[in-house]
Amino acid sequence: MDNSICQVYEDEIQSLEEEIKLLTEKYEDSQQESTFFSDEEILMAIKSFQRESERRESLSDLIAQLESLETDLSFLKKFTGIQFTSHFKKTVEKTTNRTVRKHRLSGNCYSLSFQLEFQLLEMQNKENVSAVVTDLGIIMESGEDADMSKFVSSTEEHGNLLRFFRSLSSYAEWYEHRRCTFLHFKGKYPDIVTLPEGLLGDYIILRNPKHSGFELMIVWKIHIDEEGRTTPVLDLLTKVPQQVLEQNMATIENAPACFRSMLLLFGIETALENLIKVVGLEK
Amino acid sequence: MEEGKRNSAHGVFAHLERLEAEAREIAVKEEKMKQEEEKQARLKARVRELSLQRDMLLAKVRLQKKRLREKRAMSDPAKSSARAVLEWKIKNIKGMLQISYLTGISGKQTKQGVCFCISTAYESTYLDSYYVHLLVKPEVQIYQHSVPTFIPLEEIAKKYLQTDIGRFLSVLSDHLNAYAGRKYQADQLQEHFSDQIEGTVQRNSLCNLLVFNYKVSSKSKTFPFNVRLLYGDLCCSLPTEVNVSCTPDAPASLAEMAAAHSDLFRRVALHKAFRSFSSAEESVDGAP
Repeated sequence: MDNSICQVYEDEIQSLEEEIKLLTEKYEDSQQESTFFSDEEILMAIKSFQRESERRESLSDLIAQLESLETDLSFLKKFTGIQFTSHFKKTVEKTTNRTVRKHRLSGNCYSLSFQLEFQLLEMQNKENVSAVVTDLGIIMESGEDADMSKFVSSTEEHGNLLRFFRSLSSYAEWYEHRRCTFLHFKGKYPDIVTLPEGLLGDYIILRNPKHSGFELMIVWKIHIDEEGRTTPVLDLLTKVPQQVLEQNMATIENAPACFRSMLLLFGIETALENLIKVVGLEK
Repeated sequence: MEEGKRNSAHGVFAHLERLEAEAREIAVKEEKMKQEEEKQARLKARVRELSLQRDMLLAKVRLQKKRLREKRAMSDPAKSSARAVLEWKIKNIKGMLQISYLTGISGKQTKQGVCFCISTAYESTYLDSYYVHLLVKPEVQIYQHSVPTFIPLEEIAKKYLQTDIGRFLSVLSDHLNAYAGRKYQADQLQEHFSDQIEGTVQRNSLCNLLVFNYKVSSKSKTFPFNVRLLYGDLCCSLPTEVNVSCTPDAPASLAEMAAAHSDLFRRVALHKAFRSFSSAEESVDGAP
């Protein structure tokens, strides 16, 4: 009889322990949940502060703190090109000397946006804290780019998050530089320069409106290898009417090689400028 | 007569023994009951304690749900308290700044100028961080730093600091990450493959020159291979020059293996090369 009473208590203890475990997980999960507010909401909040005169002092401290933090964030963007737009973290496991957190991170680097999901295992040693990235998943906006896809796969496989950010920064900088260069020449020579795929395309076409049938296509690819090394590659393709081709065969055949030499000598912008001027000549 | 006395004495002893046995039995039963009661009391107390803990947690979770509902209600700016919106925005940005070290370069403006933190990592493992505090007025100069002396900081600063701080940080980061990568590989080798290495790996402070003797087979008593790795490119964690030779007493058949190792060390991280030696040996051992 007594045994059965003890058994009842033990069963109750077990069920309570399970319930406590579930509740603890629930509590920790909701504790990690963070809410994100739009700039519009912030502005509205700041406006409403000015009406709350009795609490103005502490609220103005909060505004100052927010402004200071935003300055730090934009300062980092200036040097890395990377800007985080949202961040969510959840503690998966926590002991005295190790913590595992799951992170979800969205952001952009210049005009390229990315989404990351990974686990970060932080271990406390005697001297310092070391962190290990696991289960890394990356979604890139420019997913259709074969080079970028290979690089992303390699990065995910090795969990090499630092290399991802460093290489993305370099790649996106070239991407932005190409966009600005195309925009500059389209603005400066609107009659000669056309952008069939817009500013985010990887080629421009030069044609003289007075000489129909003659076109130069400049293809500007940005290669990224599996190690994350970024290289701009520019090429010149020609489209010439048949009779002109017969008269100037050698010149036209040599044009791409001459363009590559010009790139090495003068750099991208000057080489393009010279080419556009040649295309724009009257004769 | 004597016999009668003996019988009655025997009867008394037997009776006493019976009484003793009964007393013992009662004592054991009482002890058992006492233990049962104590156990019950203990279990009852534990149930009470756990019930209390459960009720506390339940209250916390309910309270949190309520707060969460309030937070979600904040998405309607009319309902949300201005203070709460700001506090959440601050918390969010702080979280982002805390993990900005993952990008490799993070920093903060200070009264004197700017303090940058350069993180290093080898593949998925984040290693040491280094700090460079720059003064920006009257001209950009290094005020304080924790960069090791063998990293050519002055040379990099002379080249880029006045013209392009971003480039300066990037090149410095390349140097520090390559050094961290070389050091990490040597440490991993020493830690996980010490039985295959004779003594310790000889290395200089920059870890761009490593020399050691090693063996591939765990059965081997000697260390027939000698390797010298030179990392000519200080921004790289793979060697530019690899020299694997066999010790004079090593069998001639190992010369071919040394050439294969030389090629492997050029392409693969040091500890990974040794891991492949181990797996190759296991597959040979496991072959029928």
